Amino acid sequence: MALSDVSHRPRFLREGNVYLPHPAVIEKIFSETADTKTFHFNFRDEKLREEFTFQSGQFCLLSVLGVGEAPFCISSSPTRRDHLECSVKEVGRLTRTLHRLRVGAEIGFRGPYGNAFPLDFLRGKNLVFVGGGIGLAPLRSLIWNVIDNREEYGRIDIIYGARTPADLCFSYDLEAWQQDKTVNMVTTVDKGDEAWKGQVGLVPVVLEEVAPSPDNSVAIVCGPPIMIRFTFPALEKLGFTPGQMLTTLEKRMKCGIGKCGRCNIGNIYVCRDGPVFSYAEIANFASSEY
Amino acid sequence: MTARKIAKKHIADLLNEWRQGFNVFVPSRDEGVAKWARWDGGDAEFLEWYRNTVVPPKALFFPPLEEMFSFHKDGDGYRVEQPPPAEERWLIFGIRPCDARALAVLDLNFKEGYEDLYYLKRRENGVLVGLGCTRPYESCFCTSLGIGPTDAADVDLMLTDIGAYFLVEAVTDRGEELLGKTSLVHAATGADEARAEEARKAAGARVTRKIDSQGISEKLRASFEDKGFWERVSAKCISCGICTFLCPTCYCFDISDELVKRHGARFRSWDSCAFSLYTKMPMENPRREKWRRLRQKVCHKYEFYPDSFDVIACTGCGRCIRLCPVNWDITWVLSSLPVQKQVGLET
Repeated sequence: MALSDVSHRPRFLREGNVYLPHPAVIEKIFSETADTKTFHFNFRDEKLREEFTFQSGQFCLLSVLGVGEAPFCISSSPTRRDHLECSVKEVGRLTRTLHRLRVGAEIGFRGPYGNAFPLDFLRGKNLVFVGGGIGLAPLRSLIWNVIDNREEYGRIDIIYGARTPADLCFSYDLEAWQQDKTVNMVTTVDKGDEAWKGQVGLVPVVLEEVAPSPDNSVAIVCGPPIMIRFTFPALEKLGFTPGQMLTTLEKRMKCGIGKCGRCNIGNIYVCRDGPVFSYAEIANFASSEY
Repeated sequence: MTARKIAKKHIADLLNEWRQGFNVFVPSRDEGVAKWARWDGGDAEFLEWYRNTVVPPKALFFPPLEEMFSFHKDGDGYRVEQPPPAEERWLIFGIRPCDARALAVLDLNFKEGYEDLYYLKRRENGVLVGLGCTRPYESCFCTSLGIGPTDAADVDLMLTDIGAYFLVEAVTDRGEELLGKTSLVHAATGADEARAEEARKAAGARVTRKIDSQGISEKLRASFEDKGFWERVSAKCISCGICTFLCPTCYCFDISDELVKRHGARFRSWDSCAFSLYTKMPMENPRREKWRRLRQKVCHKYEFYPDSFDVIACTGCGRCIRLCPVNWDITWVLSSLPVQKQVGLET
């Protein structure tokens, strides 16, 4: 199966002017770490609120009109329809502005764009989630999606790491997964402190210690590029094949719909054909610029 | 459909007739650079000097800068206003076959998947009157890409220079409609048609620069990882972006906002893969080095675009060669690909 075959995916908000953002209102803001916040928001338009659907792994473009627009993965699960969530790390002008917004402020939303984690392919399999830092955001959407349909999947391992305990995102989710008896949750930090009771060590190293079996398993990896680069070989060592490893790629984007040119890797547009790819697909790209 | 003809001295009159129903655009160098400008009557003096415009006609359909929508901040929210849909009909007089083909190439990108109405609306409302090219530049290489300098394939109405007259052929129904009302156009004779055929042949022969476009994607794919080659061919590039801005098939764009007090707008503007900012992300940049950017430009046109749409995104118009401030030459790059010999004949 070609994971990037998106011809049959539903395309919402695609009629008319596709560049027009839809007004949404921030309902709640969580500070995840010193530089990352999660925004809960909802469309102003009631009909849209009801009809809007997306799939785990898809992304959107958030606007603060007058400042700009940037892509973010939708970090909430489509199984929890009450509102949408995006987690934003402060790295530039737009994200700085987003961080200054308060509950009740209006933002613009375009999407959902891109392919998604292939649920049909994942169903019935053991899932190994490997995340680092803010890279947990897209995984989190899928993890809740899977937990909400727990009986459809096999074993679930989650290996999540950050630099320090203060850099761990979604602590409330980590706690919930820790307590979930059907999930094996392993949290690690590069550098612990006195209160830290979890593992200490880099994610790929801890992954090898946990040593999930590759049998009927798929690993879903997301984190900083350096972590991904070392995680794929670690998984290969454990016996995972390139087709059993999924990740989401990140590129600079403007349009989000395959028109503006910049997010390409060869003839692949990350916004249009991704962002979810298997390692097998990545290895086949015409370009090594991923 | 029988061919017709119009006297060159009547072109201005014809443009004036068309002006009643269309915004007519013609080549102009009033502002120093040859580009497209609205026809406001007068002489059709451009027929004297026009070879091709510096700024390609893509700028009419996909402007260098355009407002996508405006907004007014209103308490916690915004009032968004879209520009009124472009309903005016317009006519581009004198477009060259290479540039007309370029629009057909651009259509593919703007139509695929999500439709880009800004561009497509203008295309829908625009009529193309082609003018066969009799004096191609030394830098032109359209014939290597399957386009003849007098090809009528991508226009509505085609004019071919036969001396004191232009031979006139309606290519589409819209082209036929343009001729319906005018009395300036007359039936052409067999001799006129023979003269036009001669002009076409002569024009084709004047395009002397060649590339071997056969199997070019495969050659590029095989050369992709040859960093030394790409460093060599990009050494003199100054990343000014002019080859992409003035390319009739380059469409990369940026989206940015402006805000003054409570009123603002979102704009899109031409962007270029020649700039390192184009792909810059907070933590990394996949094309920070110049050779990677130039490789992207060449491969996008000759490998990636054909992979997606089955057509090379270059029409051999030669602008990137003759307008480059450091004489970079894409035909030289394509003909010196390191794997030229190994795969050249197998495809």
